[in-house]
Amino acid sequence: MAAPALSSSSANQVFVADDATQAQFEAAARMAAWRRRLLPLGAAILLLVVWQVAVVVFQIRPFIAPAPTAVVATLADKFWLLVSNLAPTAVEAIAGFLIGNSAAILLATVFVHQRTAEEAFFPIAVMVHTIPVMAYAPILVLLLGNGMEAKVAIAALICFFPTLVNMTRGLRSVSPQQMELMRILSASPSEIFFKLRLKSSLPYLFSALKIASATSVIGAIVGEWIGATTGIGALIIQATYNFDSPLLYATIVVGSVFSAAFFAVISWLERVFLKWNVSQTA
Amino acid sequence: MSQVAPDSAPVVDADPAIRLRDVTVRFPSERGVVTALEAINLTVPRGGFLTLLGPSGCGKSTLLRVVSDLLPATSGEVSVLGTTAKAARARRDIGFVFQDASLLAWRTALENVELPLEVGGGDKRRSAQKPRELLALVGLSGWEGAYPHELSGGMRQRVAIARALVNDPKLLLMDEPFGALDEITRDRLNEELLRLWENTGATILFVTHSIYEAAFLGQQVMLMAARPGRVREVVPVTLANPRHIAMRETPQFIELAAHLRRVLEGC
Repeated sequence: MAAPALSSSSANQVFVADDATQAQFEAAARMAAWRRRLLPLGAAILLLVVWQVAVVVFQIRPFIAPAPTAVVATLADKFWLLVSNLAPTAVEAIAGFLIGNSAAILLATVFVHQRTAEEAFFPIAVMVHTIPVMAYAPILVLLLGNGMEAKVAIAALICFFPTLVNMTRGLRSVSPQQMELMRILSASPSEIFFKLRLKSSLPYLFSALKIASATSVIGAIVGEWIGATTGIGALIIQATYNFDSPLLYATIVVGSVFSAAFFAVISWLERVFLKWNVSQTA
Repeated sequence: MSQVAPDSAPVVDADPAIRLRDVTVRFPSERGVVTALEAINLTVPRGGFLTLLGPSGCGKSTLLRVVSDLLPATSGEVSVLGTTAKAARARRDIGFVFQDASLLAWRTALENVELPLEVGGGDKRRSAQKPRELLALVGLSGWEGAYPHELSGGMRQRVAIARALVNDPKLLLMDEPFGALDEITRDRLNEELLRLWENTGATILFVTHSIYEAAFLGQQVMLMAARPGRVREVVPVTLANPRHIAMRETPQFIELAAHLRRVLEGC
Protein backbone atom coordinates (compact mmCIF):
# COMPACT_ATOMS: atom_id res chain seq x y z
CA MET A 1 0.00 0.00 0.00
CA ALA A 2 1.02 3.58 -0.50
CA ALA A 3 2.86 5.39 2.26
CA PRO A 4 0.52 6.60 4.98
CA ALA A 5 0.15 10.28 4.22
CA LEU A 6 -1.12 11.28 7.65
CA SER A 7 1.37 9.56 9.91
CA SER A 8 4.50 9.77 7.78
CA SER A 9 6.09 12.23 10.19
CA SER A 10 6.18 9.67 12.98
CA ALA A 11 7.08 6.68 10.80
CA ASN A 12 10.80 7.03 11.42
CA GLN A 13 10.38 6.79 15.16
CA VAL A 14 7.96 3.86 14.99
CA PHE A 15 10.15 1.53 12.93
CA VAL A 16 13.67 1.22 14.26
CA ALA A 17 16.44 -0.44 12.26
CA ASP A 18 17.23 -3.45 14.46
CA ASP A 19 18.14 -6.20 11.98
CA ALA A 20 19.02 -8.83 14.56
CA THR A 21 15.67 -8.62 16.35
CA GLN A 22 13.83 -8.42 13.03
CA ALA A 23 15.67 -11.52 11.71
CA GLN A 24 14.87 -13.40 14.92
CA PHE A 25 11.20 -12.48 14.59
CA GLU A 26 11.05 -13.58 10.96
CA ALA A 27 12.84 -16.86 11.69
CA ALA A 28 10.29 -17.62 14.44
CA ALA A 29 7.43 -16.86 12.04
CA ARG A 30 8.92 -19.16 9.36
CA MET A 31 9.40 -21.89 11.95
CA ALA A 32 5.76 -21.63 13.03
CA ALA A 33 4.61 -21.83 9.40
CA TRP A 34 6.67 -24.99 8.77
CA ARG A 35 5.39 -26.57 11.99
CA ARG A 36 1.80 -26.00 10.84
CA ARG A 37 2.51 -27.83 7.57
CA LEU A 38 4.92 -30.55 8.70
CA LEU A 39 3.21 -31.74 11.89
CA PRO A 40 0.00 -33.01 10.21
CA LEU A 41 2.07 -34.54 7.39
CA GLY A 42 4.31 -36.32 9.92
CA ALA A 43 1.26 -37.58 11.82
CA ALA A 44 -0.27 -38.92 8.58
CA ILE A 45 2.95 -40.76 7.66
CA LEU A 46 3.14 -42.18 11.20
CA LEU A 47 -0.43 -43.53 10.98
CA LEU A 48 0.30 -45.15 7.59
CA VAL A 49 3.42 -46.80 9.03
CA VAL A 50 1.45 -48.09 12.05
CA TRP A 51 -1.18 -49.47 9.65
CA GLN A 52 1.45 -51.15 7.45
CA VAL A 53 3.21 -52.69 10.47
CA ALA A 54 -0.09 -53.87 11.96
CA VAL A 55 -1.08 -55.62 8.70
CA VAL A 56 2.29 -57.39 8.51
CA VAL A 57 2.64 -58.24 12.21
CA PHE A 58 -0.93 -59.46 12.78
CA GLN A 59 -1.06 -61.08 9.33
CA ILE A 60 -4.34 -59.36 8.47
CA ARG A 61 -5.74 -60.81 5.27
CA PRO A 62 -5.85 -58.37 2.33
CA PHE A 63 -9.64 -58.52 1.83
CA ILE A 64 -10.24 -57.38 5.44
CA ALA A 65 -7.75 -54.53 5.38
CA PRO A 66 -5.11 -54.10 2.67
CA ALA A 67 -1.68 -52.71 3.53
CA PRO A 68 -1.00 -49.12 2.36
CA THR A 69 1.63 -50.48 -0.02
CA ALA A 70 -0.99 -52.75 -1.63
CA VAL A 71 -3.32 -49.76 -2.07
CA VAL A 72 -0.53 -47.75 -3.68
CA ALA A 73 0.30 -50.67 -5.98
CA THR A 74 -3.37 -50.89 -7.05
CA LEU A 75 -3.46 -47.14 -7.64
CA ALA A 76 -0.55 -47.54 -10.05
CA ASP A 77 -1.75 -50.79 -11.73
CA LYS A 78 -5.36 -49.78 -12.25
CA PHE A 79 -4.78 -46.08 -12.79
CA TRP A 80 -6.72 -45.94 -16.08
CA LEU A 81 -9.61 -47.97 -14.67
CA LEU A 82 -9.82 -45.55 -11.74
CA VAL A 83 -9.59 -42.44 -13.89
CA SER A 84 -12.18 -43.68 -16.38
CA ASN A 85 -14.55 -44.28 -13.47
CA LEU A 86 -13.78 -40.91 -11.89
CA ALA A 87 -14.78 -39.08 -15.08
CA PRO A 88 -18.55 -39.77 -14.95
CA THR A 89 -18.65 -39.08 -11.20
CA ALA A 90 -16.81 -35.80 -11.68
CA VAL A 91 -19.16 -34.73 -14.48
CA GLU A 92 -22.22 -35.60 -12.36
CA ALA A 93 -20.86 -33.81 -9.29
CA ILE A 94 -19.88 -30.65 -11.19
CA ALA A 95 -23.14 -30.54 -13.18
CA GLY A 96 -25.15 -31.08 -9.99
CA PHE A 97 -23.09 -28.41 -8.23
CA LEU A 98 -23.77 -25.88 -10.99
CA ILE A 99 -27.48 -26.67 -11.32
CA GLY A 100 -28.22 -26.93 -7.58
CA ASN A 101 -26.37 -23.77 -6.65
CA SER A 102 -27.75 -21.74 -9.56
CA ALA A 103 -31.28 -22.75 -8.59
CA ALA A 104 -30.60 -21.88 -4.95
CA ILE A 105 -29.15 -18.47 -5.86
CA LEU A 106 -32.13 -17.68 -8.11
CA LEU A 107 -34.65 -18.75 -5.48
CA ALA A 108 -32.83 -16.76 -2.77
CA THR A 109 -33.02 -13.70 -5.05
CA VAL A 110 -36.78 -14.23 -5.42
CA PHE A 111 -37.14 -14.70 -1.64
CA VAL A 112 -35.38 -11.43 -0.90
CA HIS A 113 -37.64 -9.49 -3.26
CA GLN A 114 -40.89 -11.37 -2.53
CA ARG A 115 -41.46 -12.00 1.16
CA THR A 116 -44.66 -13.86 0.32
CA ALA A 117 -42.72 -16.39 -1.76
CA GLU A 118 -40.28 -16.93 1.10
CA GLU A 119 -43.04 -17.41 3.65
CA ALA A 120 -44.80 -19.88 1.36
CA PHE A 121 -41.87 -21.95 0.09
CA PHE A 122 -39.16 -21.77 2.73
CA PRO A 123 -40.93 -24.20 5.11
CA ILE A 124 -41.30 -26.64 2.19
CA ALA A 125 -37.58 -26.35 1.42
CA VAL A 126 -36.81 -27.11 5.09
CA MET A 127 -39.07 -30.18 5.00
CA VAL A 128 -37.48 -31.52 1.82
CA HIS A 129 -34.06 -30.97 3.39
CA THR A 130 -34.94 -33.18 6.38
CA ILE A 131 -35.43 -36.19 4.04
CA PRO A 132 -32.15 -38.20 4.00
CA VAL A 133 -30.37 -38.52 0.62
CA MET A 134 -30.58 -42.30 0.82
CA ALA A 135 -34.38 -41.99 1.02
CA TYR A 136 -35.00 -39.74 -1.96
CA ALA A 137 -32.21 -41.06 -4.17
CA PRO A 138 -34.20 -44.18 -5.27
CA ILE A 139 -37.20 -41.96 -6.05
CA LEU A 140 -35.08 -39.84 -8.38
CA VAL A 141 -33.63 -42.92 -10.06
CA LEU A 142 -37.19 -44.17 -10.66
CA LEU A 143 -38.19 -40.78 -12.04
CA LEU A 144 -35.12 -40.06 -14.17
CA GLY A 145 -33.86 -43.52 -15.03
CA ASN A 146 -30.50 -45.20 -14.66
CA GLY A 147 -28.51 -42.62 -16.60
CA MET A 148 -26.53 -39.62 -15.49
CA GLU A 149 -29.62 -37.44 -15.02
CA ALA A 150 -30.62 -39.05 -11.73
CA LYS A 151 -27.11 -38.67 -10.28
CA VAL A 152 -26.91 -35.05 -11.37
CA ALA A 153 -30.32 -34.43 -9.77
CA ILE A 154 -29.23 -36.01 -6.48
CA ALA A 155 -26.01 -33.97 -6.43
CA ALA A 156 -27.99 -30.82 -7.26
CA LEU A 157 -30.55 -31.43 -4.50
CA ILE A 158 -27.89 -32.06 -1.89
CA CYS A 159 -26.17 -28.72 -2.78
CA PHE A 160 -29.38 -26.78 -2.99
CA PHE A 161 -30.44 -26.28 0.61
CA PRO A 162 -27.26 -24.98 2.31
CA THR A 163 -26.79 -22.50 -0.53
CA LEU A 164 -30.43 -21.37 -0.39
CA VAL A 165 -30.21 -20.66 3.36
CA ASN A 166 -26.80 -18.94 3.17
CA MET A 167 -27.59 -16.93 0.07
CA THR A 168 -30.89 -15.67 1.51
CA ARG A 169 -29.07 -14.61 4.68
CA GLY A 170 -26.26 -13.07 2.63
CA LEU A 171 -28.57 -11.01 0.44
CA ARG A 172 -30.23 -9.71 3.59
CA SER A 173 -26.94 -8.94 5.36
CA VAL A 174 -27.08 -5.31 4.25
CA SER A 175 -26.98 -2.74 7.05
CA PRO A 176 -29.95 -0.35 7.43
CA GLN A 177 -27.57 2.59 6.86
CA GLN A 178 -26.32 1.13 3.58
CA MET A 179 -29.94 0.80 2.44
CA GLU A 180 -30.63 4.39 3.49
CA LEU A 181 -27.56 5.51 1.56
CA MET A 182 -28.85 3.82 -1.59
CA ARG A 183 -32.27 5.42 -1.11
CA ILE A 184 -30.75 8.88 -0.69
CA LEU A 185 -28.89 8.24 -3.94
CA SER A 186 -32.22 7.27 -5.62
CA ALA A 187 -30.72 3.89 -6.56
CA SER A 188 -32.97 1.62 -8.62
CA PRO A 189 -33.88 -1.87 -7.33
CA SER A 190 -31.43 -3.46 -9.78
CA GLU A 191 -28.63 -1.11 -8.67
CA ILE A 192 -29.37 -1.98 -5.04
CA PHE A 193 -29.26 -5.66 -5.94
CA PHE A 194 -26.08 -5.70 -8.00
CA LYS A 195 -24.07 -2.99 -6.24
CA LEU A 196 -25.09 -3.78 -2.67
CA ARG A 197 -26.94 -7.03 -1.95
CA LEU A 198 -25.05 -9.36 -4.29
CA LYS A 199 -21.64 -8.14 -3.12
CA SER A 200 -22.65 -8.35 0.55
CA SER A 201 -23.80 -11.93 0.02
CA LEU A 202 -20.52 -13.20 -1.47
CA PRO A 203 -18.89 -14.26 1.83
CA TYR A 204 -22.06 -16.20 2.71
CA LEU A 205 -22.29 -17.68 -0.78
CA PHE A 206 -18.71 -18.93 -0.76
CA SER A 207 -19.04 -20.65 2.60
CA ALA A 208 -22.08 -22.47 1.13
CA LEU A 209 -20.21 -23.31 -2.09
CA LYS A 210 -17.35 -24.84 -0.10
CA ILE A 211 -19.82 -27.13 1.67
CA ALA A 212 -21.50 -27.89 -1.68
CA SER A 213 -18.21 -28.80 -3.38
CA ALA A 214 -17.84 -31.73 -0.98
CA THR A 215 -21.51 -32.74 -0.76
CA SER A 216 -22.03 -32.73 -4.55
CA VAL A 217 -19.44 -35.54 -4.84
CA ILE A 218 -21.25 -37.45 -2.08
CA GLY A 219 -24.53 -36.99 -3.98
CA ALA A 220 -23.06 -38.33 -7.23
CA ILE A 221 -21.55 -41.38 -5.47
CA VAL A 222 -24.79 -42.17 -3.60
CA GLY A 223 -26.65 -41.95 -6.92
CA GLU A 224 -24.22 -44.43 -8.47
CA TRP A 225 -24.74 -46.88 -5.60
CA ILE A 226 -28.39 -47.19 -6.49
CA GLY A 227 -27.80 -48.10 -10.06
CA ALA A 228 -24.83 -47.48 -12.31
CA THR A 229 -22.28 -49.44 -14.29
CA THR A 230 -19.52 -46.85 -14.20
CA GLY A 231 -18.39 -44.23 -11.73
CA ILE A 232 -16.67 -44.11 -8.34
CA GLY A 233 -19.88 -45.26 -6.63
CA ALA A 234 -20.29 -48.25 -8.97
CA LEU A 235 -16.64 -49.18 -8.52
CA ILE A 236 -17.01 -49.06 -4.72
CA ILE A 237 -19.97 -51.46 -4.84
CA GLN A 238 -18.22 -53.74 -7.34
CA ALA A 239 -14.96 -53.88 -5.35
CA THR A 240 -16.85 -54.59 -2.12
CA TYR A 241 -18.80 -57.51 -3.63
CA ASN A 242 -15.59 -58.95 -5.10
CA PHE A 243 -13.74 -58.61 -1.76
CA ASP A 244 -11.18 -56.56 -3.72
CA SER A 245 -10.20 -54.37 -0.78
CA PRO A 246 -7.09 -52.80 -2.35
CA LEU A 247 -9.27 -51.60 -5.27
CA LEU A 248 -11.96 -50.40 -2.83
CA TYR A 249 -9.41 -48.35 -0.89
CA ALA A 250 -7.80 -47.04 -4.05
CA THR A 251 -11.21 -45.95 -5.33
CA ILE A 252 -11.87 -44.09 -2.10
CA VAL A 253 -8.49 -42.37 -2.38
CA VAL A 254 -9.29 -41.23 -5.94
CA GLY A 255 -12.73 -39.97 -4.87
CA SER A 256 -11.26 -38.03 -1.93
CA VAL A 257 -8.53 -36.49 -4.04
CA PHE A 258 -11.16 -35.23 -6.51
CA SER A 259 -13.30 -33.88 -3.67
CA ALA A 260 -10.33 -32.09 -2.11
CA ALA A 261 -9.31 -30.63 -5.49
CA PHE A 262 -12.85 -29.36 -6.09
CA PHE A 263 -12.83 -27.75 -2.61
CA ALA A 264 -9.43 -26.19 -3.32
CA VAL A 265 -10.69 -24.63 -6.57
CA ILE A 266 -13.65 -23.04 -4.77
CA SER A 267 -11.36 -21.79 -1.97
CA TRP A 268 -9.08 -20.26 -4.58
CA LEU A 269 -12.02 -18.53 -6.27
CA GLU A 270 -13.08 -17.23 -2.85
CA ARG A 271 -9.66 -15.68 -2.32
CA VAL A 272 -9.80 -14.09 -5.79
CA PHE A 273 -13.31 -12.65 -5.37
CA LEU A 274 -13.10 -11.71 -1.70
CA LYS A 275 -9.80 -9.86 -1.56
CA TRP A 276 -11.64 -7.14 0.33
CA ASN A 277 -12.96 -9.43 3.02
CA VAL A 278 -11.24 -8.98 6.39
CA SER A 279 -11.46 -12.65 7.31
CA GLN A 280 -9.66 -13.55 4.05
CA THR A 281 -6.74 -11.16 4.35
CA ALA A 282 -6.25 -11.22 8.12
CA MET B 1 -39.08 28.74 23.47
CA SER B 2 -37.05 30.91 21.15
CA GLN B 3 -37.26 30.18 17.49
CA VAL B 4 -35.05 31.25 14.65
CA ALA B 5 -37.96 32.70 12.68
CA PRO B 6 -41.15 32.90 14.72
CA ASP B 7 -44.26 32.56 12.61
CA SER B 8 -45.75 35.82 13.94
CA ALA B 9 -42.75 37.90 12.89
CA PRO B 10 -42.42 39.18 9.33
CA VAL B 11 -40.61 36.65 7.17
CA VAL B 12 -36.92 37.42 7.53
CA ASP B 13 -35.57 34.66 5.38
CA ALA B 14 -37.77 34.18 2.34
CA ASP B 15 -35.71 31.29 0.97
CA PRO B 16 -34.33 29.19 3.81
CA ALA B 17 -32.52 25.87 3.34
CA ILE B 18 -34.97 24.05 5.58
CA ARG B 19 -38.39 25.03 6.87
CA LEU B 20 -40.43 22.68 9.04
CA ARG B 21 -43.94 23.66 10.19
CA ASP B 22 -45.73 21.60 12.82
CA VAL B 23 -43.95 18.47 11.72
CA THR B 24 -45.11 15.43 13.63
CA VAL B 25 -43.86 11.85 13.12
CA ARG B 26 -45.63 8.87 14.66
CA PHE B 27 -44.78 5.17 14.42
CA PRO B 28 -47.10 2.29 15.22
CA SER B 29 -45.43 -0.18 17.60
CA GLU B 30 -46.39 -3.15 19.77
CA ARG B 31 -47.02 -0.95 22.78
CA GLY B 32 -49.06 1.57 20.84
CA VAL B 33 -48.34 4.49 18.59
CA VAL B 34 -45.07 6.29 19.45
CA THR B 35 -44.65 10.00 18.81
CA ALA B 36 -41.05 10.41 17.63
CA LEU B 37 -41.39 14.12 16.80
CA GLU B 38 -44.10 16.44 18.09
CA ALA B 39 -45.01 19.68 16.28
CA ILE B 40 -41.50 20.71 15.22
CA ASN B 41 -41.10 24.23 13.87
CA LEU B 42 -37.69 25.06 12.49
CA THR B 43 -36.06 27.31 9.96
CA VAL B 44 -32.43 26.96 8.93
CA PRO B 45 -31.00 29.69 6.66
CA ARG B 46 -28.99 28.79 3.58
CA GLY B 47 -25.37 28.29 4.48
CA GLY B 48 -26.25 27.76 8.14
CA PHE B 49 -24.75 25.21 10.50
CA LEU B 50 -27.28 23.83 12.96
CA THR B 51 -26.31 21.24 15.54
CA LEU B 52 -28.98 19.04 17.10
CA LEU B 53 -28.32 18.10 20.70
CA GLY B 54 -30.44 16.03 23.02
CA PRO B 55 -30.81 12.78 24.96
CA SER B 56 -31.29 9.41 23.24
CA GLY B 57 -34.76 8.98 21.82
CA CYS B 58 -35.40 12.69 21.34
CA GLY B 59 -35.88 12.23 17.61
CA LYS B 60 -32.67 13.88 16.36
CA SER B 61 -32.00 11.13 13.83
CA THR B 62 -35.70 10.99 12.91
CA LEU B 63 -35.55 14.69 12.09
CA LEU B 64 -32.63 14.15 9.68
CA ARG B 65 -34.55 11.32 8.04
CA VAL B 66 -37.62 13.49 7.53
CA VAL B 67 -35.50 16.21 5.93
CA SER B 68 -33.79 13.67 3.63
CA ASP B 69 -37.04 11.97 2.56
CA LEU B 70 -36.10 8.68 4.21
CA LEU B 71 -39.13 8.96 6.50
CA PRO B 72 -42.46 10.63 5.74
CA ALA B 73 -43.84 13.19 8.18
CA THR B 74 -47.17 12.06 9.64
CA SER B 75 -48.40 15.66 9.49
CA GLY B 76 -46.95 19.11 8.93
CA GLU B 77 -45.07 20.81 6.16
CA VAL B 78 -41.50 20.01 5.13
CA SER B 79 -39.69 22.32 2.75
CA VAL B 80 -36.09 21.65 1.75
CA LEU B 81 -34.16 24.09 -0.47
CA GLY B 82 -37.38 25.65 -1.70
CA THR B 83 -39.02 22.38 -2.68
CA THR B 84 -40.13 19.07 -1.17
CA ALA B 85 -37.65 16.77 0.55
CA LYS B 86 -38.27 14.17 -2.18
CA ALA B 87 -37.47 16.58 -5.00
CA ALA B 88 -34.36 17.85 -3.21
CA ARG B 89 -33.16 14.29 -2.72
CA ALA B 90 -33.86 13.41 -6.36
CA ARG B 91 -31.86 16.49 -7.46
CA ARG B 92 -28.88 15.24 -5.40
CA ASP B 93 -29.01 18.36 -3.24
CA ILE B 94 -28.71 16.28 -0.07
CA GLY B 95 -25.62 14.51 1.22
CA PHE B 96 -25.86 12.19 4.23
CA VAL B 97 -23.10 10.99 6.56
CA PHE B 98 -24.00 8.13 8.91
CA GLN B 99 -22.59 7.29 12.32
CA ASP B 100 -20.85 4.16 11.07
CA ALA B 101 -19.22 5.30 7.87
CA SER B 102 -21.34 2.75 5.94
CA LEU B 103 -18.64 2.22 3.36
CA LEU B 104 -19.02 -0.72 1.02
CA ALA B 105 -16.38 -3.20 2.18
CA TRP B 106 -15.60 -4.47 -1.33
CA ARG B 107 -14.82 -1.04 -2.70
CA THR B 108 -11.59 0.85 -2.21
CA ALA B 109 -11.68 4.32 -0.67
CA LEU B 110 -11.75 5.90 -4.15
CA GLU B 111 -14.45 3.52 -5.42
CA ASN B 112 -16.57 4.32 -2.37
CA VAL B 113 -16.34 8.03 -3.13
CA GLU B 114 -17.36 7.27 -6.74
CA LEU B 115 -20.46 5.28 -5.75
CA PRO B 116 -22.92 8.23 -5.86
CA LEU B 117 -21.83 8.89 -9.46
CA GLU B 118 -22.66 5.31 -10.46
CA VAL B 119 -26.19 4.91 -9.12
CA GLY B 120 -29.51 6.70 -9.50
CA GLY B 121 -28.31 8.79 -12.44
CA GLY B 122 -25.86 10.61 -10.17
CA ASP B 123 -23.39 11.03 -12.99
CA LYS B 124 -25.23 14.14 -14.22
CA ARG B 125 -24.37 15.99 -11.05
CA ARG B 126 -20.66 16.08 -10.42
CA SER B 127 -18.75 18.12 -7.93
CA ALA B 128 -16.26 20.56 -9.43
CA GLN B 129 -13.68 18.43 -7.64
CA LYS B 130 -12.96 14.91 -8.85
CA PRO B 131 -13.30 11.99 -6.40
CA ARG B 132 -9.51 11.81 -6.14
CA GLU B 133 -9.33 15.51 -5.25
CA LEU B 134 -12.10 15.10 -2.67
CA LEU B 135 -10.09 12.34 -1.01
CA ALA B 136 -7.11 14.68 -0.91
CA LEU B 137 -9.37 17.40 0.52
CA VAL B 138 -10.24 15.15 3.48
CA GLY B 139 -6.55 14.30 3.94
CA LEU B 140 -6.49 10.87 2.34
CA SER B 141 -4.25 11.24 -0.70
CA GLY B 142 -2.20 8.06 -1.00
CA TRP B 143 -5.02 5.93 0.38
CA GLU B 144 -7.17 5.74 -2.79
CA GLY B 145 -6.61 2.00 -3.19
CA ALA B 146 -7.11 1.02 0.45
CA TYR B 147 -10.10 -1.12 1.44
CA PRO B 148 -12.25 0.03 4.37
CA HIS B 149 -10.87 -2.63 6.74
CA GLU B 150 -7.39 -1.21 6.16
CA LEU B 151 -8.48 2.25 7.34
CA SER B 152 -8.92 3.56 10.87
CA GLY B 153 -12.31 4.72 12.11
CA GLY B 154 -11.43 8.37 11.53
CA MET B 155 -10.19 7.66 8.00
CA ARG B 156 -13.35 5.74 7.16
CA GLN B 157 -15.43 8.70 8.28
CA ARG B 158 -13.30 11.00 6.09
CA VAL B 159 -14.08 8.75 3.11
CA ALA B 160 -17.79 8.93 3.99
CA ILE B 161 -17.59 12.74 4.03
CA ALA B 162 -15.83 12.80 0.65
CA ARG B 163 -18.53 10.48 -0.70
CA ALA B 164 -21.26 12.83 0.58
CA LEU B 165 -19.57 15.75 -1.19
CA VAL B 166 -19.16 14.13 -4.60
CA ASN B 167 -22.51 15.45 -5.90
CA ASP B 168 -21.78 18.92 -4.54
CA PRO B 169 -24.80 18.90 -2.18
CA LYS B 170 -26.33 22.12 -0.94
CA LEU B 171 -27.38 20.41 2.27
CA LEU B 172 -25.24 18.04 4.31
CA LEU B 173 -26.96 15.92 6.97
CA MET B 174 -24.65 14.32 9.51
CA ASP B 175 -25.96 11.76 12.02
CA GLU B 176 -23.41 11.57 14.86
CA PRO B 177 -20.62 11.07 12.34
CA PHE B 178 -17.81 11.31 14.89
CA GLY B 179 -19.63 9.58 17.77
CA ALA B 180 -17.52 6.44 17.65
CA LEU B 181 -14.14 8.16 17.31
CA ASP B 182 -11.55 8.91 19.97
CA GLU B 183 -11.49 12.46 21.28
CA ILE B 184 -8.29 13.61 19.57
CA THR B 185 -9.48 12.41 16.16
CA ARG B 186 -12.89 13.92 16.79
CA ASP B 187 -11.41 17.35 17.64
CA ARG B 188 -9.32 17.30 14.50
CA LEU B 189 -12.25 16.29 12.30
CA ASN B 190 -14.41 18.99 13.93
CA GLU B 191 -11.95 21.67 12.83
CA GLU B 192 -11.65 20.15 9.35
CA LEU B 193 -15.43 20.02 9.01
CA LEU B 194 -15.68 23.74 9.79
CA ARG B 195 -13.10 24.47 7.06
CA LEU B 196 -15.12 22.36 4.61
CA TRP B 197 -18.31 24.18 5.58
CA GLU B 198 -16.68 27.58 5.06
CA ASN B 199 -15.29 26.53 1.68
CA THR B 200 -18.36 24.80 0.24
CA GLY B 201 -21.06 27.15 1.52
CA ALA B 202 -23.32 24.15 2.15
CA THR B 203 -25.96 24.09 4.86
CA ILE B 204 -25.15 21.52 7.54
CA LEU B 205 -27.42 19.75 10.03
CA PHE B 206 -25.27 17.89 12.53
CA VAL B 207 -26.62 15.49 15.17
CA THR B 208 -24.44 14.88 18.22
CA HIS B 209 -24.50 13.68 21.82
CA SER B 210 -21.60 15.92 22.78
CA ILE B 211 -22.28 19.36 24.28
CA TYR B 212 -18.80 20.58 23.29
CA GLU B 213 -19.11 19.35 19.72
CA ALA B 214 -22.56 20.95 19.40
CA ALA B 215 -21.36 24.31 20.73
CA PHE B 216 -18.08 24.31 18.82
CA LEU B 217 -19.55 23.46 15.41
CA GLY B 218 -22.96 25.12 15.33
CA GLN B 219 -23.96 28.62 14.40
CA GLN B 220 -27.09 27.57 16.30
CA VAL B 221 -27.64 24.68 18.68
CA MET B 222 -31.09 23.13 18.74
CA LEU B 223 -31.74 21.43 22.07
CA MET B 224 -34.30 18.67 21.95
CA ALA B 225 -36.28 16.84 24.64
CA ALA B 226 -37.39 13.22 24.48
CA ARG B 227 -40.71 11.39 24.74
CA PRO B 228 -42.11 12.92 22.67
CA GLY B 229 -39.26 14.43 20.64
CA ARG B 230 -39.69 18.18 20.63
CA VAL B 231 -37.63 21.37 20.37
CA ARG B 232 -36.59 22.67 23.76
CA GLU B 233 -34.64 25.73 22.76
CA VAL B 234 -32.63 27.06 19.84
CA VAL B 235 -29.48 28.73 21.15
CA PRO B 236 -27.49 31.02 18.84
CA VAL B 237 -23.73 30.56 19.13
CA THR B 238 -21.91 33.87 19.18
CA LEU B 239 -18.35 32.56 18.88
CA ALA B 240 -16.30 34.29 16.19
CA ASN B 241 -15.61 32.55 12.88
CA PRO B 242 -13.36 30.89 11.84
CA ARG B 243 -13.15 28.78 14.97
CA HIS B 244 -10.25 26.90 16.47
CA ILE B 245 -10.19 24.13 19.03
CA ALA B 246 -8.47 26.45 21.53
CA MET B 247 -11.64 28.57 21.61
CA ARG B 248 -13.17 25.89 23.77
CA GLU B 249 -11.09 27.20 26.67
CA THR B 250 -12.49 30.76 26.47
CA PRO B 251 -14.93 31.88 29.23
CA GLN B 252 -17.51 32.61 26.53
CA PHE B 253 -17.43 28.99 25.32
CA ILE B 254 -17.47 27.55 28.83
CA GLU B 255 -20.47 29.67 29.70
CA LEU B 256 -22.28 28.53 26.55
CA ALA B 257 -21.53 24.88 27.29
CA ALA B 258 -22.76 25.33 30.86
CA HIS B 259 -25.99 26.85 29.60
CA LEU B 260 -26.54 23.98 27.17
CA ARG B 261 -25.90 21.49 29.98
CA ARG B 262 -28.44 23.17 32.26
CA VAL B 263 -31.11 23.09 29.56
CA LEU B 264 -30.30 19.43 28.76
CA GLU B 265 -30.59 18.43 32.41
CA GLY B 266 -34.06 19.92 32.41
CA CYS B 267 -35.06 17.80 29.40
